[in-house]
Amino acid sequence: MVGPEACIFATVMIGFLGLIYKRNLLMKIVAMDVISTGVIGYYCFVAARTGVTTPIVGAEVSPGPIQYADPLPQAVILTAIVIGFSTQILMLVIAMKLAKENPTLEIAAIEREYWS
Amino acid sequence: MTLFAVSAEFNAAPWATVVICLALMAGFTGYLLPATIHFLTLAVCLSTGFLAYLAFSLPEAQFWYLLDSFGVAFQLDALSGYFLLTNALVTLAVLVYCWNTGRSAFFYAQLIILHTSLNSAFLCADFMSLYVALEVVAIAAFCLMTYPREPRIIWLGLRYLLLSNTAMLFYLIGVALVYSNSQSFAFSGLTQAPPEATALIFLGLLTKGGIFLAGLWLPQTHGEAATPMSALMSGVVVKAGILGLLRCGLLSDQLLLLVQGLGVATALFGVAYAMLAKDTKRMLAFHTVSQMGFVLAAPVAGGFYALTHGLVKSSLFLLAGNLPSRDFKILQKTPIAAGFWVPLLLASSSIAGFPLLAGFEAKTLTLKGLPPWLAIALNIAAVGTAISFSKFVFLKPTFVGKTYPLGLGIALAVLLGGLAVGNVVYWQAFTASNLLKATLTCGVGAGLYWGVVKRLTLKLPDGGEQVDHLIGMMSISLTILFAWILV
Repeated sequence: MVGPEACIFATVMIGFLGLIYKRNLLMKIVAMDVISTGVIGYYCFVAARTGVTTPIVGAEVSPGPIQYADPLPQAVILTAIVIGFSTQILMLVIAMKLAKENPTLEIAAIEREYWS
Repeated sequence: MTLFAVSAEFNAAPWATVVICLALMAGFTGYLLPATIHFLTLAVCLSTGFLAYLAFSLPEAQFWYLLDSFGVAFQLDALSGYFLLTNALVTLAVLVYCWNTGRSAFFYAQLIILHTSLNSAFLCADFMSLYVALEVVAIAAFCLMTYPREPRIIWLGLRYLLLSNTAMLFYLIGVALVYSNSQSFAFSGLTQAPPEATALIFLGLLTKGGIFLAGLWLPQTHGEAATPMSALMSGVVVKAGILGLLRCGLLSDQLLLLVQGLGVATALFGVAYAMLAKDTKRMLAFHTVSQMGFVLAAPVAGGFYALTHGLVKSSLFLLAGNLPSRDFKILQKTPIAAGFWVPLLLASSSIAGFPLLAGFEAKTLTLKGLPPWLAIALNIAAVGTAISFSKFVFLKPTFVGKTYPLGLGIALAVLLGGLAVGNVVYWQAFTASNLLKATLTCGVGAGLYWGVVKRLTLKLPDGGEQVDHLIGMMSISLTILFAWILV
């Protein structure tokens, strides 16, 4: 089970490096979304530690004990997904407003303009 | 501490739930019926005050578990009571200040939502509820901050959202580690979790609370926001992350040492910047950073300290927004109306620990029973606080001045009245040695200000406050946390 976990953390790292290296505001917001994707994947990974069967009573009939997935991390990450994408939308809308004044959305230019 | 004895069987859960849910409903109702919104906000503040009163009068902390064994819980105890009271008083002052300024119903609805989400952040006892509460706080604070719709404020708000959201994503990874380790989201799971969980969770909370290197976004954001919003953010919004840190620090000795170490570093770092700041609001914002360090340095007294800090900082921000200029150089040349100078003097003396208002007791209580290395460092920070607030105290008062906005007067009466009443919390502090020490600290601070700091023209670099550097600082903080925990 090391492979999936390594991929998940690689996703988080790629997002974080994007957040540092990308100079454009939109790209930074997208990079944040990439980190968020990695985090959501990690929660699904944590939920799958005990198995991957959907935890519905009576759905499966099998001789041995059924390896159910843990429903709780999936439930809480739903909340986090909703919060994440609402913040994301808010930021993109604000970026649209900023783009009226700074069409390139280059962070360096924006900071030069608004720095006191 | 209480007027009416509350029996041990009394269950506060329905009250807490009702206060939170009704407040949220009040926010949306008020948005639909704008005529009622001022009064609804007032009612929400008062109900929070009632909840804080309940918290103080309960014989012992109460826990309520919402899910069977997953640790999703909320709790009401004296520590959360202090934070709830801070929230109630500061929001009340901001509401009174904004009462006649013609702000739209949207502003007040967001104010109620921010207030309520802060309440839930102060009440929750598990990592997941804390995450949700903190994110709602961030969104509501952002909406309030960007209310003026000026491009500059919008940019600062966007920066705030970007940083806080990124930090909270790391926090979530930490929470997942805690859960996979102990099958529960409760705070207590942190002690058994792998060390990287502590580092990640702390990174999220440090960024939210504006602590040390991860909190460098705070001065610019709080300094440039509109006056009532600065008061609100410095007064209560940063404390949402702080309470989480305090709760973690009270879990084990190792975590306590980490929290205290971060607190001391922050107290000194913030005060160094604040002493050399040339701009009133920027100085106050750096002070918020430094005072949060004080709160963390002594988690046992942290609640009371946070209360006094919230009241003082909100009143100072409201005053600073009404002074003729934001530049100290110009302010020193122009006489200040006595109506502004007296509250400035009171609030500054409270935060510097002069025996007059509750700030003195809070400082004494914080410095009591600390290990020597901590006490010495905090005393140095206290002298630094006195130095930087001498800038306000030694302005020239004049008795002919401009008229006084009524809203500001009532807001200050609420905040400073709260501080005066706060004197009863720890009246044992009034001993000769404590009084002497506090007076000496303030005296040394004032002396150093006249002798040294006033003549300094040194300007500390602010290059670390650009977005790229802030994200870099976040990774540096994470590295430091890892190093500390693994060593």
